[in-house]
Amino acid sequence: MISQLTLGAADEGSEEGSGIEIAHHVEWEWNGWTFYLDTIWATVVAGAIVVGLGFIARKQLTKDTSDHVPTKLQLTWETLVDWVTGQVNDALGRVSRTVVALAVALFFFILIANWFEIIPSAWNDDTGHVLPPPTADTNLTYAMALMVFVGTWIYGIRERGFGGYFGGFISGSVASNKAADIPARVFFTVLNVIEELIKPVTLALRLFGNIFAGGIMIALIGLLPIYVFWGPNIIWKLFEMFIGGVQAFIFALLTILYFGMAATGHGDHDDDHADEHPHEPESAPAPDESDQGATHTPALAR
Amino acid sequence: MAVSDEAVTLAGAFVGGGVALAGGAIGTGIGDGLAGASYIQGVARQPEAQGRLQVIFFLTVGLCEAVFFINLAFMAMFVFVLG
Repeated sequence: MISQLTLGAADEGSEEGSGIEIAHHVEWEWNGWTFYLDTIWATVVAGAIVVGLGFIARKQLTKDTSDHVPTKLQLTWETLVDWVTGQVNDALGRVSRTVVALAVALFFFILIANWFEIIPSAWNDDTGHVLPPPTADTNLTYAMALMVFVGTWIYGIRERGFGGYFGGFISGSVASNKAADIPARVFFTVLNVIEELIKPVTLALRLFGNIFAGGIMIALIGLLPIYVFWGPNIIWKLFEMFIGGVQAFIFALLTILYFGMAATGHGDHDDDHADEHPHEPESAPAPDESDQGATHTPALAR
Repeated sequence: MAVSDEAVTLAGAFVGGGVALAGGAIGTGIGDGLAGASYIQGVARQPEAQGRLQVIFFLTVGLCEAVFFINLAFMAMFVFVLG
């Protein structure tokens, strides 16, 4: 993504300026479809790293050492899986292995993919960025968000049935007099539906925006002269590692929370749901959204 | 003085980018500040909750900063692509 350097109006006049070509991908056309090959191969490399680390951890686990001290890689995986299991238990009420697997995979994959930004892999000729962060391409983030959302819809429909799930969008009664109530309920129902449709968009764009903007900033810092450039470069790249981690954490945590919300409905935003479903959301929102770990111990003991 | 079309587009792109960044920075500053204030108050009341509150604090900061980065991405689009 960081190729030549000529900004904006390079044909304008005196100086060549510094330009940064953004969103420049290696493309491949097939039957009218355009594939961004650099995103695809960076995704494959990131996925291979995650899967490879998993296999290494498993091999270390099954190795029979005399003192059975867990290795650092194994501890990393275990901490992550334990934390995700705890979150899933808090949000869903039970430990669903597919959700735990999805969240762990998403966190690790997004972390590694975001951290590709730190590796300078742009050649100086026209080959462009050899290992770009694939999450800086909206195609990958939209695909991941779509996968998460289709998963939540399937999970919600399985837990609550078709009627229960779609009925959850219909708002409870808002105003006490009947005349004002119907339009208000229609309005809130529409808001609920819009919220549900916007959630995948924000999930995708949040991750994309962070990583893409980080890449642009790295390109801008690259314009500084070499004797000054090293300072901001180090600081910004460290910050980007932190942001990459935080965004991976947020994506995984929001995935878990969306699965939880699909199962229990919008119990916490409208208090009027209490009228419609007197048995469930009164007690459900408190353990869902409250502090983790204090009141609930996960089903798998540590 | 005749102003060319490209000049107007370029000017508009830069101003738009600046406004996007300004709004984003103000919003993020306020949002992060509120989150930090609540975190400090929570820890002041109950120091043993610091670990649990820290997770929620970072989550909230991440969400506020995310909106700012979306603004940054739009600024980049305005300035580099459209201008």
